[in-house]
Amino acid sequence: MPEIIDATAIEKACKEILDHYAPEPRYILAIMQDMQKRFNYLPPQGLKMLASYTGVPFSQVYAMASFYKAFSLKPKGRYIIKVCDGTACHIKGAETLVEQIYKYLQIRPGETTRDGSFSLETVNCLGACALAPVMVINEKVYGKVTPADIERIIKEYGGWADEGKQC
Amino acid sequence: MKLIIDGREVSAYPGETILEVCRRENIFIPTLCYHPAFKGQGVCRMCMVELEDENGNRRMVASCTYPVQEGLKIVTFSAKIDKVRKNIIRLLASRAKGSDYIQDLAGQYGVEPLDLPGLDNEKCILCRLCVNACKLMGSSVLAAVWRGIDKKISTPYEEAAEECIGCAACYEVCPTGAIEMKEENGQRIIWNKVFNLVLCQHCGKAYATEEQIALVERKTGISLPALCEACRSQNLAGRLKNFSG
Amino acid sequence: MKENNVKEKGCTKIMVCCGTGCTANGARQVLARLEEKLRGNKNFEVVPVLKATGCNGWCEKGPLVKIMPEDITYCQVKAEDVDEIIEKTLLRGEKIKRLLYRDPQTKEFLVSLHQTDFYRKQKKIALRNIGEIDPASIDDYIERDGYKALEKALKYMTPDEVLEEVIKSGLRGRGGGGFPTGRKWQACKKVPRFPKYIICNGDEGDPGAFMDRSIMEGDPHTIIEGMLICAYVLQAEKGFIYVRDEYDLAVKHLTQAILDARRCGFLGKNILGSSLSFDIELVRGGGAFVCGEETALIKSIEGFPGEPRDKYIFPTESGLWGQPTVINNVETWANIPVIILEGGEKFASLGTEGSKGTKVFSLVGKVVNTGLVEVPMGITLREIIYEIGGGIPNGRQFKAVQTGGPSGGCIPAQLLDLEIDFDTLTREGSMMGSGGIIVMDDTTCMVEVARYYTNFLAVESCGKCTPCREGLRALLAILTRIVKGEGKMEDLELLQEISEVMQEASLCALGRTAPNPVLSTLKYFQDEYVAHIIDRRCPAGVCPELTVFEIDAELCTGCTLCQKNCPVDAITGEAKKAHIIQQDKCIRCGECYRSCRFRAVKVK
Ligand SMILES: Cc1cc2nc3c(=O)[nH]c(=O)nc-3n(C[C@H](O)[C@H](O)[C@H](O)COP(=O)(O)O)c2cc1C
Ligand code: SF4
Ligand code: FES
Ligand code: FES
Repeated sequence: MPEIIDATAIEKACKEILDHYAPEPRYILAIMQDMQKRFNYLPPQGLKMLASYTGVPFSQVYAMASFYKAFSLKPKGRYIIKVCDGTACHIKGAETLVEQIYKYLQIRPGETTRDGSFSLETVNCLGACALAPVMVINEKVYGKVTPADIERIIKEYGGWADEGKQC
Repeated sequence: MKLIIDGREVSAYPGETILEVCRRENIFIPTLCYHPAFKGQGVCRMCMVELEDENGNRRMVASCTYPVQEGLKIVTFSAKIDKVRKNIIRLLASRAKGSDYIQDLAGQYGVEPLDLPGLDNEKCILCRLCVNACKLMGSSVLAAVWRGIDKKISTPYEEAAEECIGCAACYEVCPTGAIEMKEENGQRIIWNKVFNLVLCQHCGKAYATEEQIALVERKTGISLPALCEACRSQNLAGRLKNFSG
Repeated sequence: MKENNVKEKGCTKIMVCCGTGCTANGARQVLARLEEKLRGNKNFEVVPVLKATGCNGWCEKGPLVKIMPEDITYCQVKAEDVDEIIEKTLLRGEKIKRLLYRDPQTKEFLVSLHQTDFYRKQKKIALRNIGEIDPASIDDYIERDGYKALEKALKYMTPDEVLEEVIKSGLRGRGGGGFPTGRKWQACKKVPRFPKYIICNGDEGDPGAFMDRSIMEGDPHTIIEGMLICAYVLQAEKGFIYVRDEYDLAVKHLTQAILDARRCGFLGKNILGSSLSFDIELVRGGGAFVCGEETALIKSIEGFPGEPRDKYIFPTESGLWGQPTVINNVETWANIPVIILEGGEKFASLGTEGSKGTKVFSLVGKVVNTGLVEVPMGITLREIIYEIGGGIPNGRQFKAVQTGGPSGGCIPAQLLDLEIDFDTLTREGSMMGSGGIIVMDDTTCMVEVARYYTNFLAVESCGKCTPCREGLRALLAILTRIVKGEGKMEDLELLQEISEVMQEASLCALGRTAPNPVLSTLKYFQDEYVAHIIDRRCPAGVCPELTVFEIDAELCTGCTLCQKNCPVDAITGEAKKAHIIQQDKCIRCGECYRSCRFRAVKVK
């Protein structure tokens, strides 16, 4: 889906999402899920609209958005690398994978490469512990990843434009 | 209904909490996140007391949220309770190294803050009284945001909030002096927002922000004379006082 | 071939496991290839039926392909194997040896999954359908007695009789607390206020546990049926399934299942011609471990941050929107239809005095066979780890198991013969939790494990109450300095005291159990703490600041595996000659230490 940056387009897209739901606080979570999916983050404008639509104070909507890990308040990269740091993966060396990714992309968990291509996150168990350590890029699952695999995997996604030479 | 608090029989009404009963009966229980204007929150956990069952087994509960029941046996002070309270103060003192109030309290309880990589000069203990006060004022611009050890009190995006009227209720209710407010040159700065102060026509004291007065006018449809509270009550025998909220 | 298939509607079934593990290993490609090759295949009189099933539990050996009714299981199947499977097995009835599982001890080839050690000791109740049915097909579920329990309840039992049966079964909640399910329903039934709500807790936040996911993905209708039976008892009209955010496939299958159930009249008005009307709504979680706690989950459904409240009044009295609410775990729900259909007594005949029936465990970590196992309560840890799990890989030594999720505890080798149930685990300073069993060997540092869980909880706690939030902050800071080699002996007392206060004073069970990892490792592995503090050494070779790796030239065969695995090229040496670690380059990630098959890499 093309990235949306201009305010009227965001407003229009948010309005479409809101129209799917009755104006009740209990749909806040679902609406945020939809917005996150649509924009890859929650635009402040969208949260404001959500607040007035459901009649919940903006501060409380913001508290929700910051509380839940599924949402991000800043735009994310095109490819989201999730390294599992669940217990099974942790004891099989997940942290080394994070280090390796830093080496190639210069991003730490929670950060996005400057060219907007990759975001890195650590997550709590992807439910594939038998394949630990596990990492997911967008929808694709990589199991039994070794630090040496990282370079190849990142290259599959074209590496990072700015620091392309590294990979 | 009847309760037994520290061996003494006390009467209580359904719907009350243990803390409310104790306050009425002048039984001391320390609290940090309780204020009679709001409901018990169960946040600070200073108010823990012990309940004793028929077999003499005890368990700890937060008195500010525990609803009274017929025949409840309550112990408000014991070695265990003391240990919990001291440790809570110690933990808060390790967090809020910048708050004189909390550091004094630590002194009173005879505990030293832990040597931990601190939050620099933090004062807030996250009791959320400000959040409640703001809500009561009808603005609701403050909330406890994020979670876990990153929890903090903030306006959305930590920016000046549209609905903030600069009433300073949060500032007044905060026990630790964590909320910064500056008043100079006829202006008040709080939560990153600048407000123009209105002076009392009678005594000349700055008594409210323009936004506060505008809100009252909007809500009540009455245009108030520009008087501070003291002068107003003098003049109007308190009738308009109801509107100041 | 056809003769013996009459029962199965006269045809062979090929079941490709499409659980998360197998999918990650390429099951979808196998499925696609089979589909392509079988469609309109003229060589068959009756073309075999192809099914994508939920997780069989043996993710380690995936992708798994089962052929029924012959009961043949092929392991680690690749798309390239499909032609051979069709040619040899499906058309000619021959088995392909290289795809069969070979028992590592007896070296025998085992035809069926059910003959393996991994399966033999298992007893499937909650997982009874998973791997056997296509989760997207309500017909598959119905074929295996699905919705029969509901029919039995509605047509032949009163709500009180249904409740009685659940009480008799002795079923205790599988979500962690272990509260008797029948008593919970009874408490809610007594409250004379309507509407009442029913919630399925599918938040599954424990890292390392995936049984709920497997049920939601692999057998969604059993959850719906369980909830319907409870609805009948309580006269509830509305239910919610709260699913963890990351579980896309579970959401997909549950959504489909709800639609199908409505279409077939199992959800909606006057179900099966009775007076029961009930519908279910799916809620996607926002990604917060604490939302597994029931009062937080309720807040979350209502549209607030998931902060728990003091539970002095139970949700059965005042839950969702202040109404009486029953909330149960996914696995709990999955047991209900079986209890109603086969009777509470039969269920209660399995398990121990205080914990009846079976429990699903996710067996992961340093163990040969990782995956999901369902076993009767009261089985020993040794049986699970050594008989089902096949022991510790790479000839390493067992050190501990961690049970009960992040706020569970670590159980040492001397307790391997512990018969596990709700009460024994709690007694030993751990807990059942959702049933994660994480096996740790001598390359796992127990202090680091405690720090890991504490960090997890510090981030995942809601942050509302002081003891939990500030206690975790303090524990984390202290543990961090110990693993960095900056700890003091006094720190151990401090850890103990803060932990005790958290247990007493925290608002919810997260905070009250959060110190378990610290307390249990302090209790059983104090020597490791002391090694970090006094000797400034990490015996397991995990903590980078306190570890130096060396290669023992005597033991090194020069296989070059470590060299290949080292992420920073710190290992030099020619093939077949002893290798050397260049200390200035080494980042102490332990990759070589864990992967060396000759145990030539040593912790200095
Ligand atoms: C921190 C915390 C996390 C929890 N996480 C879960 C969870 O992921 N899934 C679950 O079913 N129960 C979880 N529980 C337990 C629930 O609060 C609740 O007891 C359970 O859902 C009740 O269902 P049951 O009686 O069927 O077990 C958690 C509890 C706590 C304190
Ligand atoms: S114990 Fe922890 S998770 Fe529970 S309410 Fe307190 S801060 Fe929140
Ligand atoms: S711990 Fe990584 S997938 Fe479960
Ligand atoms: S006063 Fe009860 S928890 Fe703060």
